[in-house]
Amino acid sequence: MKRTAQVPLLVLTGLGLLHTALFTDLYLRYVKEGLRPLLIISGALLLLLGLAHAALDRGTADEEKHDHGHGHDHGHDHSTAPRIAWLLFLPALSLLFYAPPALGAYTASHAGSEAVKQQKRFAALPATSPLPMTLTDFTTRVQQDKELAIKGRSVEMTGFATPVRGGGWDLTRIIFTCCAADAQTVKVHMYGTPAPPANTWLAVTGTWHTQGALGTRTAAAALDVHGTRNIAQPVNAFTDDLPLTPSS
Amino acid sequence: MPKTDELLDVTETAIPAAVHPPERRRRAVRRPPPTTAFALALGLAAAVLALSGTPWLNDPAVAAWRTVCLAITVQALPFLLLGTALSGAINAFVPADLFTKVLPKRAALAVPVAGIAGVVLPGCECASVPVANSLIRRGVTPAAAFAFLLSAPAINPIVLTATAVAFPGSPAMVLARLLASLATAAVMGWLWLWLGREEWLRPVVRHTGHQSGHSRFTEFRLGFQHDFLHAGGFLVLGAMAAATFNVTVPRSVLDTFSGSPWLSVLFLAALAVVLAVCSEADAFVAASLTGFSPTARLAFMVVGPMVDLKLIALQAGTFGRAFAVRFSTATTVVAVAASVLIGGALL
Repeated sequence: MKRTAQVPLLVLTGLGLLHTALFTDLYLRYVKEGLRPLLIISGALLLLLGLAHAALDRGTADEEKHDHGHGHDHGHDHSTAPRIAWLLFLPALSLLFYAPPALGAYTASHAGSEAVKQQKRFAALPATSPLPMTLTDFTTRVQQDKELAIKGRSVEMTGFATPVRGGGWDLTRIIFTCCAADAQTVKVHMYGTPAPPANTWLAVTGTWHTQGALGTRTAAAALDVHGTRNIAQPVNAFTDDLPLTPSS
Repeated sequence: MPKTDELLDVTETAIPAAVHPPERRRRAVRRPPPTTAFALALGLAAAVLALSGTPWLNDPAVAAWRTVCLAITVQALPFLLLGTALSGAINAFVPADLFTKVLPKRAALAVPVAGIAGVVLPGCECASVPVANSLIRRGVTPAAAFAFLLSAPAINPIVLTATAVAFPGSPAMVLARLLASLATAAVMGWLWLWLGREEWLRPVVRHTGHQSGHSRFTEFRLGFQHDFLHAGGFLVLGAMAAATFNVTVPRSVLDTFSGSPWLSVLFLAALAVVLAVCSEADAFVAASLTGFSPTARLAFMVVGPMVDLKLIALQAGTFGRAFAVRFSTATTVVAVAASVLIGGALL
């Protein structure tokens, strides 16, 4: 790869990272929020590297070739990069022009439901009704809380719809630990409403769907739906936190 | 798709403006016009734009593949930059005899010392490959550099903290991970001393470090850029392979293997290789594999930072294919053995 290709490659990769992390929130589809500063620094660094290469090394490539003469036939010369580097154009252009969508129902329907953490002690539930809860908290409460505090309580949960093969649907959240490659899925099965289209973001209110013994592992993570309302996709879609919806 | 047309306009108008001045300049110094490079870059851009209208790229499975592939690349890029910057700095600024002075003279002793030194390189496994390469270039014995390469991503404080967070209430898991990773790194270093052959390594062009007549900073910049572009290409290749497995292997096969203690260790080790989860995150993935024995989950965390598809691609690019195949196979075997022994004793 010649110098003339390295400049656009470095600049485009840098711009791609800046576009995804600095000018937009697109990076949240792929990685955790905490990586943002690193992505911005990397983007700026690559951009500078490309510009410096364009501005400073105009003559050096020629000189080096004359200096080394026959010596650089072994193929290691800093003024050219190996051909494999062409592949870097793919993520760069993809970030700039054709960002892949966020993971959704396809991934969720192919994932097993994540096992929830063991929790011994549960704080008393606040009295608010309906009570906002995350899918993980709901599952933990239903399957592990010996006090049965969740019994009869009306809760509100948010997530996107994943149709289940063979009927019905799950309210789903996909959780990243680091990036989309380690995505894990939490699901709660919904009873009592027809399945909304896949990937619709919803806030659902309802009560625990009686199946199995509450407070033990046999209890199903399931909800009798009393009402649903469409919401915008939260900014922090890939956490299991309570939703931060855009303020508009 | 109206957006595409808009973008096409931008590309068509913006790029010629950027192309022409350098082209004219180069003609002036009588070099062949750099048309091929720009033609290819433009061709790729046009292909991406043209493809964005095609339906198969938006099929849910393909879209998920593109997302995962890009996510692995984006996640790894900052760490790869850190690694290549460090490697460039070692090459340009560190005196050639520093490492040979600091490390013990006997290679057999240098191996464990280098392994423990892995503690200081924070970050993912992508950073450690270029750094290990620059250590070899600066005269560090390959065995010690490989011990460092294997231990750095597994035992640095960030990764150990993540492990402690992912397994609350079982500090033995953190200790087991530290010990099994160190043991694997040291054994692999000694194994290289015993059986390794220089000719498996790609005849590394020795960077001579600082040369008179070049500014150290220019040397650093060019070395950094070259290493980054090189490793970056292989990173994309590895990310594509890992994304393919990530999307096509359904998680339900996990349950098939969790029953048998022996198969489950081998299965999770293989899973760590194909999933290519970053070493800072693998503890959380391991923690979620609740059906499996602690030893199998330990094997997942010991193998993952040392061998996975993107690392194999990176190593093949840096050290040569002959090396990458042998080294990764041996490392997997040693890492599984170390996990079983140490996991069996501690967990």
